[in-house]
Amino acid sequence: MTTPQVSTPVAGDARASGASRPPAALGGRGPAALGRRLLRLLAGWLPALPLLVFTLGMLVLPALRLVHDTFALRSGGFGMDNIQKVADNPVDREAIANSLELGALQATLAAAFGMPAAWLISRMRVAGRATWLALMNVASNFAGIGLAFGFVALIGTTGMLTHLLDVSFPATGSFTGMNIAYLYFNIPMFVLLTLPAVAVLKDDWWEAAQVCHATRRQFWRRIGAPVLAPFAAAGWLLIFTWTIGIYAVAYALASGPQSVKLITLQIGATLESSVFGLERAAVLSVLLMLLAIVSTVLYRLAIRRATRWL
Amino acid sequence: MSHVVLNGVTKRYGAQLALDAVDVSVDKGEMLALLGPSGCGKTTLLRCIAGLNDADAGTISIGGADVTRMPARKRPIGMVFQSYALFPNLSAAKNVAFPLTVRRRERKETAARVEELLALVGLEEHGHKLPNQLSGGQQQRVALARALAPDPEVLLLDEPLSALDAQVRTRLRDEVRRIQHQVGITTVFVTHDQSEALAISDRVAVMNAGRIEQCATPPEVYAAPSTRFAAGFVGNRNTLELPVADGRVAWGGAFDVEAPSGERALCLFRPEDVEIGADGPGLAATVDVKVFLGAVTRVYATCDGTTVFADVPSRSAAGLEDGQKVFVRVAPEHVQVFAA
Amino acid sequence: MRSRIGSRVFLALLALYFALPLVAALLYSLATKWGDTVLPSGYTLHWWVDVFSRPEVSGALGRSLVLTAVTLAIDVLLVVPAAYWSVVHNPRIGSVVQTVTVIPFAIPWVVIAAGLQLIVKDTVPQLFGTFWLLAAATAAIAFPFLYWAVENSLLAADARRLSEAAATCGAHPMVTLVRVVLPAIRGGIVSGSLLVAATAMNEFALAKVLVGTRYETLPLWSARVFTSRTGNDPNALAVITIFTFGLLFALSALVVWLGRGKSASSTLALARTSSSAEKG
Repeated sequence: MTTPQVSTPVAGDARASGASRPPAALGGRGPAALGRRLLRLLAGWLPALPLLVFTLGMLVLPALRLVHDTFALRSGGFGMDNIQKVADNPVDREAIANSLELGALQATLAAAFGMPAAWLISRMRVAGRATWLALMNVASNFAGIGLAFGFVALIGTTGMLTHLLDVSFPATGSFTGMNIAYLYFNIPMFVLLTLPAVAVLKDDWWEAAQVCHATRRQFWRRIGAPVLAPFAAAGWLLIFTWTIGIYAVAYALASGPQSVKLITLQIGATLESSVFGLERAAVLSVLLMLLAIVSTVLYRLAIRRATRWL
Repeated sequence: MSHVVLNGVTKRYGAQLALDAVDVSVDKGEMLALLGPSGCGKTTLLRCIAGLNDADAGTISIGGADVTRMPARKRPIGMVFQSYALFPNLSAAKNVAFPLTVRRRERKETAARVEELLALVGLEEHGHKLPNQLSGGQQQRVALARALAPDPEVLLLDEPLSALDAQVRTRLRDEVRRIQHQVGITTVFVTHDQSEALAISDRVAVMNAGRIEQCATPPEVYAAPSTRFAAGFVGNRNTLELPVADGRVAWGGAFDVEAPSGERALCLFRPEDVEIGADGPGLAATVDVKVFLGAVTRVYATCDGTTVFADVPSRSAAGLEDGQKVFVRVAPEHVQVFAA
Repeated sequence: MRSRIGSRVFLALLALYFALPLVAALLYSLATKWGDTVLPSGYTLHWWVDVFSRPEVSGALGRSLVLTAVTLAIDVLLVVPAAYWSVVHNPRIGSVVQTVTVIPFAIPWVVIAAGLQLIVKDTVPQLFGTFWLLAAATAAIAFPFLYWAVENSLLAADARRLSEAAATCGAHPMVTLVRVVLPAIRGGIVSGSLLVAATAMNEFALAKVLVGTRYETLPLWSARVFTSRTGNDPNALAVITIFTFGLLFALSALVVWLGRGKSASSTLALARTSSSAEKG
């Protein structure tokens, strides 16, 4: 009975407080007992109250407000009219399609480049690994307006590489241009996310497979790929969600010619320009929240599946 | 007849010499233990036999065929890793089947072999379980079954018991020996635990700093270590450094033996070879403290500031009191002497 | 052998891809004149001096620094007591807070900004567009970095046992907190704060939506100059780009350096930093 209490304070504490506090149903024994119980409850939570109230106000309420505004009608009452309006708007439909496509393509490309990169980096010696980790970290930090500027300076109409190779690259604000720029932080992100997972693949297993007379291909097909696949899926989901939610780089790149429409840009534009029609921003925001919730749940499932064997 | 023969096997890691021209051979059906402290090169030697490390010089042959340049995945070996290295996504049965599957054996034949092996290691009921649903001892058995599955010529065991707790370890140690006997497979097994090595091997190779110091049967290694390192590493010993006079070294009246040349000599003797008596002959000493160990009692006795320990049958130790004056003696044939 | 060469080439191309935009920006920040040529025709430090002597740039930098300081103060004051109480007295706090930390991590910050704008404009319209709203919002989206770091170091230092040990020595809880627990988790507070600072310095979405031109931070200045059709000023932008990059690099290098020896956790922290920067 003591061991679990020592090793897992959470379980130990739950047990202790459960024992000391009578269940709520039996608690009605006069106002004095109630007061003591409230006091004890308060003492357990008081130092965390400011943080909890603050995050409730700044994070939870805004999210609830967006849900409310999505369904609240200007004429009063609730309905699907706002959603219908967005669904009927060709610009919004285009933005949604672009965002989803961009997210899926980015996640796929990031995985395609990031997985082998993570594998190679994990097999490096300490110095090489540290250098690459630093590079990955810096690259994934180098987002925002600065990244947009870097790519315009590189492959814009008067960019360095444009002159060097004497070719014209896709416009930085176009779908392809955005893909080129986004990979700059999404590949490192994927590498940083999956490095711990790749480290799970022990050298022992490859050696044991060799001793069992397996070829490299047999090892990857029967052990390596099945073990890594759920981790890769989890990374894919995170990159997908993050990519769709990106605002700063998109805002900067979209200021160029042939710019593409994205959900976040539509939200930003609506909030800034229009006094009315804010429910359009709410609908699009709720769509992003839904995507985030779904992919967070799927992410958890993928991680649970990935760690099932470990 | 020698089944596995290593000739001058040398391995270097940068400036460090991990294996220094090791010669050793293992007979067919024999179990050889590589015993030594960590970093002595025993695991490197095993990995060279497996083909997971390449030897820088020397040759390795198995069953008369030179395998020195053969990759691990072609050698006729089975190996149990220290961590077991069971494939986490495959059930116990699939792990055991893996070496057969990659060899594209027939499905029916594979299934029968897996069943046979799981029975051999006593895990018939657990074939469907994943490695992380098995206890450490069960994982070890699965690893053993997997290593034996393709019917290899040589079985290699890398510290196969070190990850287990003491009780399971002794039981499995004896079981590994039983299975090895039953299968009759030539086996090389690495350990740092001398009792493990002495208990179940046919011969023990004591390794130190990339060399084999002594290679002999367990009783020989135990009773007559040929080098100072082997003497110090195998078994518990009293070690005294004493002056040499006229080619002999003596510790009072306790013993008097021939000494190698040099001014001082190192004398080693086992606690169970120390006799303690109420009367002489011997060296007068005082009992410090007694430690009851069950069948024997360890008695610490001091003479002239030097403390030795003796393992005395508990029945006769009952008569000894702390602080009692006693006489200590060691039969000369039980004292190993090395130049200091 | 062939695969080894293949992986070398792969890594080299990857490294080139990561280096080139930076090189281009760096060259721009040092170029005298750069017309229709591959490389600039001459080099100068003029832009670096010029940019920071412009009042609008130094003002924006100052505003970003003030925002960072206030954000940090809010987060430290809110997070440390909560994390301490969670680890030492009431683990249920931790599970509630962990659930909340998912919000700024999963939901885009422009969405959070949208929700805040709708609420604030309805309830306290005079707060909209103010520095305090921006600081509070930034603190809210950045707090998980500090919470994770502080909670981890509290657990690593086994603050629960430390507090119990101090109690058996007869120390008052306040004394325990100040003399025993805080020194033990200083590293966690510092590295968490660095991540919060990196977020606050780089944050764009909240600033854009909540205050716009009324409190122009450095990212807002960059965005304005970058997107303006007329006053496009590549050299100045290049300087600020490299400057921001250097600042973020220094901050993350500090985090790694503070967390050395705990590679796994710092890798995770890095993954989280990056996500913050990217959303900004």
